[in-house]
Amino acid sequence: MSSDIKFQQDMPPAGGYKPIDYKRVPAKTFFSGWALIGGYLGMTAGAAYLYYLNCKAVRARELEMRSASLAIYPMLLAERDREYLKQLRRNRDEESSLMANVEGWKTGTWYGEPIYHTAPPNTLINPKYVEYYVHSSFKDFSERANMAWLS
Amino acid sequence: MGITDDVTLPTEEELTVQEVNLSGPALKAGAFHLGKACEFENNEFILCRNELKDPRACINEGKATTNCALNFFRQVKKTCADEFMQYVNCLDKSSPDQKFLPCRKTQGVFDKCVKDNLGMERPPYDYFARVHVHKTARPRPPVEGPAVYEDATPGLPEDTPRPEAKYGSRYIFMW
Repeated sequence: MSSDIKFQQDMPPAGGYKPIDYKRVPAKTFFSGWALIGGYLGMTAGAAYLYYLNCKAVRARELEMRSASLAIYPMLLAERDREYLKQLRRNRDEESSLMANVEGWKTGTWYGEPIYHTAPPNTLINPKYVEYYVHSSFKDFSERANMAWLS
Repeated sequence: MGITDDVTLPTEEELTVQEVNLSGPALKAGAFHLGKACEFENNEFILCRNELKDPRACINEGKATTNCALNFFRQVKKTCADEFMQYVNCLDKSSPDQKFLPCRKTQGVFDKCVKDNLGMERPPYDYFARVHVHKTARPRPPVEGPAVYEDATPGLPEDTPRPEAKYGSRYIFMW
């Protein structure tokens, strides 16, 4: 520090300091609060209407698919019934020939003991699929039982 | 196991008829007109199946259903084979699950052909999902009444005195 610098007192600027700027400057408002709420409700209502239209269209599409399926269902069911009854007969014949030399075996029963004692003898008891596929290949059974990878 | 020799099963010959040898997209393409053309047979068969709950009892109705469907597809093949196959192709290849939406154009062509040649209108899109009244000559199956057991507890006679409860009702819930 050299001694030739003259001491100088710091003083306020001439005319004094500017007034402290404490006045609030709000952001510019484009919409009022009510307008925002109204806009929100209006847009939601519009979107809800569009959503309703979309739902209606999707429902109609699903209904059409279901309707088409129901239209061909009787034909498919008739075909399935015939094949089902054929297979039941094949299964029964297969069981009869397989168990022919087992003493006391009666087809469709466990050594003469039926599934239901009170059912009339001509009742068709729909077999479980495990029984239905019992004489078929394991591959067919696994496809039916959803155990196969690609079927 | 389960099917005894007493169960009457129809023989193979009785069950063998010509089946509708068509793939899924073709059935889907013809579904609406088929359902309309064979409405009576289909309703008869499904009524029989739902009333009797036995596939053996409805073989003939099922054969009629299949026969009607075959006749319908034969007619379509005779008159609108190209339009039909175009529609089938579109249904098959436009979407994984045979949607109708991408195929409205081919559908319109097919519908027009069927209407011109077979005089059949395509039913409304929800026609087969509606409730319909089916007029039939089938006899009503016997209604099975409630089971009557010989050793059931006899009920009180009608003229039993029914006095007021001696100590009033139980007013505390579940006790």
